[in-house]
Amino acid sequence: MNNLNGENTEKKHKVKCAGGKVDKKKKLKSETAEIKEKNPKAFTFKSAVKAEQRFRRKQDIETKKQHVPVVDRTPIEPPPLLVAVVGPPKVGKTTLIVNLVKLFSKTPLSDIKGPVTLVMGKKQRITLMECKNDINSMIDLAKVADLVLVLCDASFGFEMEFFEFLNICQVHGMPKIIGILTHLDMIKNYQALKNTKRMLKHRFWTEVYPGAKLFYLSGIVHGEYLKNEIKNLGRFISITKLRSLSWRSTHSYLLVDRLEDITSQELVRRDLQCNRNILLYGYLRGVPLTKQNYIHIAGVGDQKIHSVASLNDPCPLPERKKRALIEKEKLLYAPFSGLGGIVYDQDAVYVELAGSHSYSQQNNSESYAVSANLLDTKETLDIKMKQSKIKIFSHAENVGADDILTENSKIENSKEVNFMENVKGNITDKMKNIGNKRDNTVSLEIKFDKNFIQKTIPSLHFKRNLMKFIYDHALNDIGEKDVIKTDINNDNNVGNLFMLNSNENQNHKLKHLTTDLLDSSLPSLQNLKTNDWVNLNQNGIKNCFVTGKWRNNENAEELLKLDDLPDFDSDEDYDYSTDAETMRRKKLQLKQKFDTAYDNFYKDDFYDELKTRIEKQSELNKQLLSNMNEDVRVEVEGCRPGMYVKLELHDMPAEFINNFEPSYPIVIGALNMGEENIGYVNVKLKKHRWYNKILKTKDPLIVSMGWRRFQTLPLYFKLEDDLKCRFLKYTPQHVSCCAQFWGPVTPQNTGFLAIQNVQNCPEVLKDQGFRIVATGTVSELDQSTKVLKKLKLVGNPIKIYKKTAFISGMFNSSLEVAKFEGAKIKTVSGIRGQVKKAVRDNGTFRATFEDKIQLSDVIVCRTWYAVDVPKFYCPITNLVLPKEKKDLWNGVKTLRELKVERNIKEQPSSDSLYTAITKDSKVFKPLIIPKKLQVALPYKDKPKNCILSKNNDKRIERVTVVREKEERKIMEMLKMLKTTYDYKQEQQAVATKKRIQKQQKEKEMEEIKKKAKVQSQKKNFMRLKSNANQH
Amino acid sequence: MPKAVAVKGNVLSYKGSAYLRQRLVLAVLSGKSVKIEDIRKYDIDPGIQEFEVNLVRLLDKVTNGSYIKLDETGTSLFFQPGMIHGGTIEHDCSLDRSIGYYLEVLILLAPFCKNPLHVTLKGVTNNKIDPSVDHIKASVLPVLRKFMLNDEGLELKILKRGMRPLGGGEVVFKCPIQNQLNPVHILNQGKVKRIRGTAYAVRVSPTMANRMVEAAKGVLLKFIPDVFVTTDHCRGKQSGNSPGFGIHLVAETTEGVFYSAEAISNLVAEDKEPSVAEDVGVTAAQRLLIEIYQGGCVDSVAQSIACVFMTLGQKNVSRIIVGSLTDYTIAFLRNIRDFFGITFKVDYYIEEDSNPEEQEGAPKISLICIGAGYTNLNKRYL
Repeated sequence: MNNLNGENTEKKHKVKCAGGKVDKKKKLKSETAEIKEKNPKAFTFKSAVKAEQRFRRKQDIETKKQHVPVVDRTPIEPPPLLVAVVGPPKVGKTTLIVNLVKLFSKTPLSDIKGPVTLVMGKKQRITLMECKNDINSMIDLAKVADLVLVLCDASFGFEMEFFEFLNICQVHGMPKIIGILTHLDMIKNYQALKNTKRMLKHRFWTEVYPGAKLFYLSGIVHGEYLKNEIKNLGRFISITKLRSLSWRSTHSYLLVDRLEDITSQELVRRDLQCNRNILLYGYLRGVPLTKQNYIHIAGVGDQKIHSVASLNDPCPLPERKKRALIEKEKLLYAPFSGLGGIVYDQDAVYVELAGSHSYSQQNNSESYAVSANLLDTKETLDIKMKQSKIKIFSHAENVGADDILTENSKIENSKEVNFMENVKGNITDKMKNIGNKRDNTVSLEIKFDKNFIQKTIPSLHFKRNLMKFIYDHALNDIGEKDVIKTDINNDNNVGNLFMLNSNENQNHKLKHLTTDLLDSSLPSLQNLKTNDWVNLNQNGIKNCFVTGKWRNNENAEELLKLDDLPDFDSDEDYDYSTDAETMRRKKLQLKQKFDTAYDNFYKDDFYDELKTRIEKQSELNKQLLSNMNEDVRVEVEGCRPGMYVKLELHDMPAEFINNFEPSYPIVIGALNMGEENIGYVNVKLKKHRWYNKILKTKDPLIVSMGWRRFQTLPLYFKLEDDLKCRFLKYTPQHVSCCAQFWGPVTPQNTGFLAIQNVQNCPEVLKDQGFRIVATGTVSELDQSTKVLKKLKLVGNPIKIYKKTAFISGMFNSSLEVAKFEGAKIKTVSGIRGQVKKAVRDNGTFRATFEDKIQLSDVIVCRTWYAVDVPKFYCPITNLVLPKEKKDLWNGVKTLRELKVERNIKEQPSSDSLYTAITKDSKVFKPLIIPKKLQVALPYKDKPKNCILSKNNDKRIERVTVVREKEERKIMEMLKMLKTTYDYKQEQQAVATKKRIQKQQKEKEMEEIKKKAKVQSQKKNFMRLKSNANQH
Repeated sequence: MPKAVAVKGNVLSYKGSAYLRQRLVLAVLSGKSVKIEDIRKYDIDPGIQEFEVNLVRLLDKVTNGSYIKLDETGTSLFFQPGMIHGGTIEHDCSLDRSIGYYLEVLILLAPFCKNPLHVTLKGVTNNKIDPSVDHIKASVLPVLRKFMLNDEGLELKILKRGMRPLGGGEVVFKCPIQNQLNPVHILNQGKVKRIRGTAYAVRVSPTMANRMVEAAKGVLLKFIPDVFVTTDHCRGKQSGNSPGFGIHLVAETTEGVFYSAEAISNLVAEDKEPSVAEDVGVTAAQRLLIEIYQGGCVDSVAQSIACVFMTLGQKNVSRIIVGSLTDYTIAFLRNIRDFFGITFKVDYYIEEDSNPEEQEGAPKISLICIGAGYTNLNKRYL
């Protein structure tokens, strides 16, 4: 295209300036313009079709912009961005992490194991985690990573793991993906480098999305990537925006970055394999986590949380707002790698106390805090006990041990305690009442006298008591009464306040009143004298009616008054101080009026309405929660995402600790209500198009669904049009089908993927191509199966009367027949019938048909047979395996694998084998025609008395004819005559043939001569002609 | 039968028959197993009673795959819930308790069924210890509607009335299924604008109904003029098997909150004096006044149901204002914490510019909670 000078040699399009077409166009243009200019409004709407198209297009564009609005739950201080570094081995993952750590923290970190958290900016922290080239780690990290750096050796190209990883991501919620090409310096040729880059980029785009960011790390200098390139990469990481993924916005999860074994050493010494109590630490992500949540540790199993606590952030964001980070604030936290005070070894955990690290000023490690506290102690326990004080009410004085033991009188004088007594008296009375007459269940407030309520409501500390009353009491019911009882009973002064049910404990009769209460939601008013009560509270009741007193902001009179108030601006010397409140109210009202008017103006759309509602909800969430005290908030909400939490788990398998290996990610996912259960899971699935086999029913499959990875035996089926589930033996090739398996309950629409093998050894991997065999979503959860298989029962008639027949061979017993009474049956020729009743014990039954059937007919009963789904669910427990076997988790084998292993050859049933079909020729009976008919037949059709051989059968011998002498002479004569005649004829034919040949030859000769003559004549003529022309 | 629970020790254990209904319902909703021991251990008639067995049977009908184990003495019950199935169900309720006892359970389960619930309950429609069917229809269903995104098809029909001891009543309850529930913020209860009601007389003289109406009006007209009570004299098949009469009153506020109260006649067999119609009317009216005085944005019977539905919402903040908490609600709050781990923030609700003179009845309590992120796991997605 380009010549040597770089100029474009292609001809440019030349716009015509003159000619017929140009004139025509000009004319048309001028006409339309003229009309439009004259009266533009008249031509706004020309064509209904166009208008419709225009409208349609507009709607399309609008709808495309719309997304289902979700409630915004992003925490104010989010957890660090979780960055997973993924790639095949020897591609430079560790080098990249080391480089990134070096860039942000200036701390050399040579041996990286497990996650590394670091502060990368004023508002941003990241956790870096290397992903091993093992499908288990890839699955776990894909579920939690916010951003994935996919490394690729450019000199080799994308490997299968890359595609597998992308597919895993797609199924479990796509995180942000940045591709990185390394080993670019291995390609020496510039052109080849350029082509490789281009090719890989386009391949990456088709996999992720067109325009996805692909980084090039051009080479390694002194074992490190170029600083500028790493810096750029860092910048890109820091500006990533997170997508909200539906699974992660409904579940809380964390990546464990620290682990402690707190089992008593004595127990471990006695039995190394004893169950352990452990502490797991990590940044909480997703949604708040409460103690009641069950959790799933990927690679270990489901666990109950023993306790959750939030800790100080070990790697906090800088508090001061300023332009750049100072060196002190560039924190790094990587306990598994030996940073953060704890070093893990094969058989010990070391705690570092000295401040060899930049962060140590804050003393975040708990163990350090404990030991430091012990070191600081200067007094004995007795002295401390004496000094300690307890505060009973929030604004009461602290009560020390001395006060209680010696100075009872002092308490009586104190003002605070007087009040306390007052309350105490009331409460105890009420409590006793409740305790004794729980069956009367008078609601609390009815019994509280008015005076008491008036007194208590404004005093803030009573507020807390309501929650305490409800929830602390709950402890008593469960059976922890004794704990409270023991330390209270001796002491009357303070104790009375808490003596809720202590009397009941002694008395079984009373106890059973509370535990076996009448179960009714109706507030029982049997013992209340309603008449007196109504008279007493008449005034209170009156205000509840529209006829009663209204509040100022609702009272029509007051509102009218407000409207009449002088305007703000007009009145110069308006007294702001007194009426500021009313003015504020008025202004608020005006604003509200405006808001409603404004909102109504635009709120014509369902979508907008939904959006505003959701926005309002997220605002309310934030507002109501931020108003709560921290402890109440944690109680109501649980631990928020972004907190650094400590989970205590009990009864963990010892192998988890013994075989702990920090380079495998420990992902903890919380399970929502009901998800800890197991049931039948119906999924919609499609075999992956890159997997080149089909899947067989009841062959084991490893499924990754929700947080879990497990092996199960799925049953494939097809959902028919009448919603029947028809059993399939194999998955279809290119269409989706359904599957059912016994597995953990997971919400509908959750994605899942299936693999056949998680082993990561070269022998296994060698003959495996793409490992993901199928993907799909959960469609239904159930506790029973309904997969059906077609079943044809076949029987034969043994006796037939008109339309009734007795049929045997279909069933084996009369019981079976009884189950099928009334069932439809059918002959092969299509005569329909019904099962009536069993006649004998062997399964013979009477049936009726719509027509008489033949004895040779086969009777068929078409039914469905329910297929059981095997109840097999086996979580993959690769984290508890020994270090060298972590990648070699082996589950149930497929039938084929077992057969190959044990060299079992299938012995097919002889019925199923194909054999040559031999057919005997049909022998028909001789045709006998009645004599009467014979007589009536025409001669042609009459049977002849002689035997006629139609097909010249030679076996039938002819009758020899014996002639007389005379006759013989005649016959000889005739024979001679015929022979001579034949001979003559032959001679004649030969002669004729010769003659004709001769004649033809002559004719030909003549023709040739004639031709030659004409030729010579022509020649002469032409010669003469040419001579004449020459002259 | 293999256990359908993956986590070890996923069983909550309780003692005593109190709040058995709550525990079973929450077990079904949360999917956790529950073990209840020492049921009426010290009672003359120990063990689980017939109406409770009947409830367990009903739960078995509604669910699929439940595992129930009752020991020989009947003092210990183990219940491992299955999936909530729903569909069309017919159930003969025990005559010891009213249909309301069973209906309260079904209302909590109905939105989360696999198939829309269409249940026909037969038994006693009105008695003294349980909220009657009228009560539920008038004040609980409106609360349920507030939580549902689409309440089309929600219906409670009283086909026949049946009084104790022989029952014979029939009720049809239909409810559509929901994917998830809405969070609610109901802060304003409004003021009572009208009072409606039904007085019914079954197998007794129809004048009873009129006498009750007169008496009830006599009390209520002192407060508001808009009182209208219909009389419902059931005849023939509609009247069930036993005689009796009663009156049910509903107060509606300007904000669409409904308060209900009810009173019914004594049972002749109970060695009590036969009730006088006027007394029943007056009692009902006074109970309604108490209910109005208690106030709140939900009826005292609907409190517990509102609490459960707040818990079963998405992870959003819900807030309602109630009058004084009933014991039943308090127990429910405790059980909700056991099963769902949801703690409510319970506070006295003080409005900014409250004036003691304008105090509307009893002090109000605000209940705040964050939903458990509960979705309908039973629904089928095609």
